[in-house]
Amino acid sequence: MSESTPTAPVARTTRPVSESLLNEKWDRCLSSMLIRSGLGLSFGIVFSVLLFKRRAWPATVGLGFGAGRAWEECDSSFKHAAAPSKDGLRVLRP
Amino acid sequence: MLRASLLRARPIAPAAGLQWRVANRFFADSKKPDETLLPGSQSAKTNIEIPSPTLSTSSTNASSVSASTIAASEVPKTPPTPQEVRSAPVVQPATTPPTGTGSASVAPPPSAPKPKRRRFRRFLLQLLVLSALGYAGGVWYSLVSDNFHDFFTEYIPFGEDAVGFFEEREYRKRFPGQNVQQRLHPQLSGEQKVTIPGRHGLTSRVADEGEASGSNLGATGPHVSALESDKTKKPDSSGETPKATSTAPPALAEKPTDSLTHNLLPKDAVKDTKEATPAPAPASSTPAKMIDNLDIPSAKEPVVQDVVKILNDLITVINADSAASKYSSAIDKAKSELGKVISDITTLKESEQKAAEDKIRSAHLEFDTAAKELVRRLEAQMHEQESHWKDEFETERETLAQTYKHKLDSELEAAKKVYEQRVKNELLEQSIALQKSFSSSVRDRVESERDGRLSKLNELSSSVQELEKLTWEWNSVIDANLKTQHLVVAVEAVKAKLANAETPRPFVNELAALKEIASDDPVVSAAIASINPAAYQRGVATPAHLIDRFRRVSAEVRKAALLPEDAGIASHLASLAMSKFLFKKSGLAVGGDVEAVLARTEVLLEEGDLDGAAREMNGLDGWAKVLSRDWLGEVRRVLEVRQALDVISTEARLNSLLVD
Repeated sequence: MSESTPTAPVARTTRPVSESLLNEKWDRCLSSMLIRSGLGLSFGIVFSVLLFKRRAWPATVGLGFGAGRAWEECDSSFKHAAAPSKDGLRVLRP
Repeated sequence: MLRASLLRARPIAPAAGLQWRVANRFFADSKKPDETLLPGSQSAKTNIEIPSPTLSTSSTNASSVSASTIAASEVPKTPPTPQEVRSAPVVQPATTPPTGTGSASVAPPPSAPKPKRRRFRRFLLQLLVLSALGYAGGVWYSLVSDNFHDFFTEYIPFGEDAVGFFEEREYRKRFPGQNVQQRLHPQLSGEQKVTIPGRHGLTSRVADEGEASGSNLGATGPHVSALESDKTKKPDSSGETPKATSTAPPALAEKPTDSLTHNLLPKDAVKDTKEATPAPAPASSTPAKMIDNLDIPSAKEPVVQDVVKILNDLITVINADSAASKYSSAIDKAKSELGKVISDITTLKESEQKAAEDKIRSAHLEFDTAAKELVRRLEAQMHEQESHWKDEFETERETLAQTYKHKLDSELEAAKKVYEQRVKNELLEQSIALQKSFSSSVRDRVESERDGRLSKLNELSSSVQELEKLTWEWNSVIDANLKTQHLVVAVEAVKAKLANAETPRPFVNELAALKEIASDDPVVSAAIASINPAAYQRGVATPAHLIDRFRRVSAEVRKAALLPEDAGIASHLASLAMSKFLFKKSGLAVGGDVEAVLARTEVLLEEGDLDGAAREMNGLDGWAKVLSRDWLGEVRRVLEVRQALDVISTEARLNSLLVD
C-alpha cells in the first residue's frame, strides 16, 4: 500500500477514474442547482421587497429561474458526456 | 523724344499752363534718375531715345539759353497754349540746328590742325621713346636670359653690337687687368669676318660659257679647237685691234690646260702655219699711208701672238702719230721678219711632228712585242695550271679510292663480328635451356617423391582442422545454450516478480536485464516493445486487485444500465432509481443486456480467465463502457505483459530447441 499511495494521488489529480465519472457529474449538478436556485431566490426576494411590495411570487419565480438554469446545464453536461468527446477531431460536413 | 521735347519746351512757357504741366512733370520726374545719368553710365532701363541728348541736350541747352533769353522778352506778350508748347519743340529744331551744329562743327577746325601736328610729333616721340625703351629692355633682358640673347642678337638690328658692348663692359668691370679683346669672338666684334662670295661652292647648273672660254669642255662641238674661235673672232678683229688682243688671253689661258701630247699633235701646228702664212700678205699690201694692223689670227703660238700684239701696239702708236710714212719701211721689214719667224716655227713644228710620228711608230712596235710576250706568258701559265689540276685530280681520286676501300674493310669486319656474336648468343641460349630442363626434371622427381610423404601430413592437418571446427561449433552451441538459459532465467524472474507482487510494482529492472540478455533477438525486443511503458513503470495489477476493482465498477455500471442513448438528467435520475429494483443475475447468464454481461464477466474473472472477462466487458456500450474504461485498460495491460512474457519464454524454448 505504501508504494501504491504515491501513484494513486497522481492518477486522481490528472484524470478521474472512469467509474466515478457519473458520480462527479451528479455532485457538480447538485451543487450548481443549489447555488443557482439560491441566487434566483435571493434575487426574487430582493425584487419582491424593492418593487413588488413583499409579494411571494417574485421569490418563487427567481427560484424557478435559478433551478431551471441549473437543470439545463446538468442536462447538457450529461448528454454531451455520453458521446465520445470530439475534441481535437476534425468534423467533416457534407 | 517726347520727354526731351518737353524739357526743351519747359523754359519757353513756364507761366502758362502750369497746372497741366505739373501733372505732366510728375510723370517725367518719376523717371528722372535715368535721365540725369551721364551718357556713358546709363542703366539698362533707359530707352534708346535718351542717349541722343548728348548732342541734342547741349544744343538744347544752348538753345534753351537763347530761347530763355528770347522767352524772357516774349513771355509777357503771348503766353503759349499747351498745344503751342507741344508744337514748339517740333518747330524749334528746324530753326535751331544751324546755330547748334555751327557751334559744334565750326569751332573744331581752327584748333584741329595744331593737334594733328602735335599728335604726329607726339606719336613720333612716343614711338621713339617706346622703341628706345624696348631696345634697352631687350638688351637688358638678353643679358639676363640666354634664350632671349640668342633671339635678340639674331633678329634685332644692331642688337648683337649693343649686347656685345654691354657684356664687354661688364667683363671689364669684373676683370679689369685682362685683355678683353681676346675673349670676345672676333666675329662678334665685326673683325676678320670671312666673307663667302655668292657664287662660291658647288652649283647644280652647268659651267657658264664665260668660264667655259677657259676650257669649253661643257660645250658641244670640238673642244679647244682653234678653228671655231678664229671664225668667230675674224669679223671682230677686222674692225678693231684691241679686240684681237683681247682674243689672245683666252688662247693663252687655253694652252696650259692642254696636255703636252696635244701640243705634239700635228693638227694645230699645221693649221697655224697654213693660216699664218696667208695673213701677212694682206697686211703688207696695205701699208699705203696708214700702216695696217698686223692681223695673224691663225697664229696660235703664244710667243708669236705676243710679238703680233707688240707690233700692233707699235703700229697703232705710229698711226696715232700719223708718221706712217716714216716707219713704214721699218714696219714692213719687221712684218717680213715676223713672217719668217712664223715660217721657221712651222718648219720646226713639222720636224717635231715627224719625230713624234716616229716615236709613235716605235711605241706601236713595242706594244706589239709586249702583247705577244703577254700572250705567251698567259699560255704558259695556263699549261702549268692544267698540269697542276690534273695532278691534283689524280691524287684526289686515289685518296677517295683508298678511303672507300677502308670503309668496305671495316664494314666487312663489323658484319663478321656481328655474325659471330649472334652464333655465340644462340649457343648460350641453348645451354641455358638445357640447364633449365635438367633442373626442372630434377625438381619434378624430388617433388613426386616428397608428395608421397607430404600427402599423409596434409591429411593429418585437415583432420585436426576438422576437429577444431567441431570444437568451435560445440562452443557456439554451448554459448547459445547459455544464452537461452539466461533468457529463461530472466523471464522466470519477471514472471516471479509479477506473481509475487501483492500490489502493483514496477518491474523495469527485470525487463531491462531481459532486454540486455536478448539484445540480438528481434522477437524478444519486439515483444518487449509491445508492452505499454506505463505497465513496467507503474507495475501491473494482480488478479485479486482486478476482481476487487471489478466489483466496484460493476456497481457503477449497474446504475447506468438502464440509460438510453443521449440521456438527459431526467433519464439519469430514472435509471438511478430503477436500477435499484433490478434482479441480479449470476453464473453464465444468457443475453446481451448489461446485467448478463456483468454476471458472465464475474464468473470468468473468478475462473481466472482475464482474457475472456475483458472480451465480455468490451462488448458493453454507452455509459456502461465509459464507466468500465479504466478497468478494461488495466486488464489489457496485464494481458499484454503476460503475452509478451509468454512470447519470450516460447522464444527461449525455441532457441534451446534450435541449437542442436
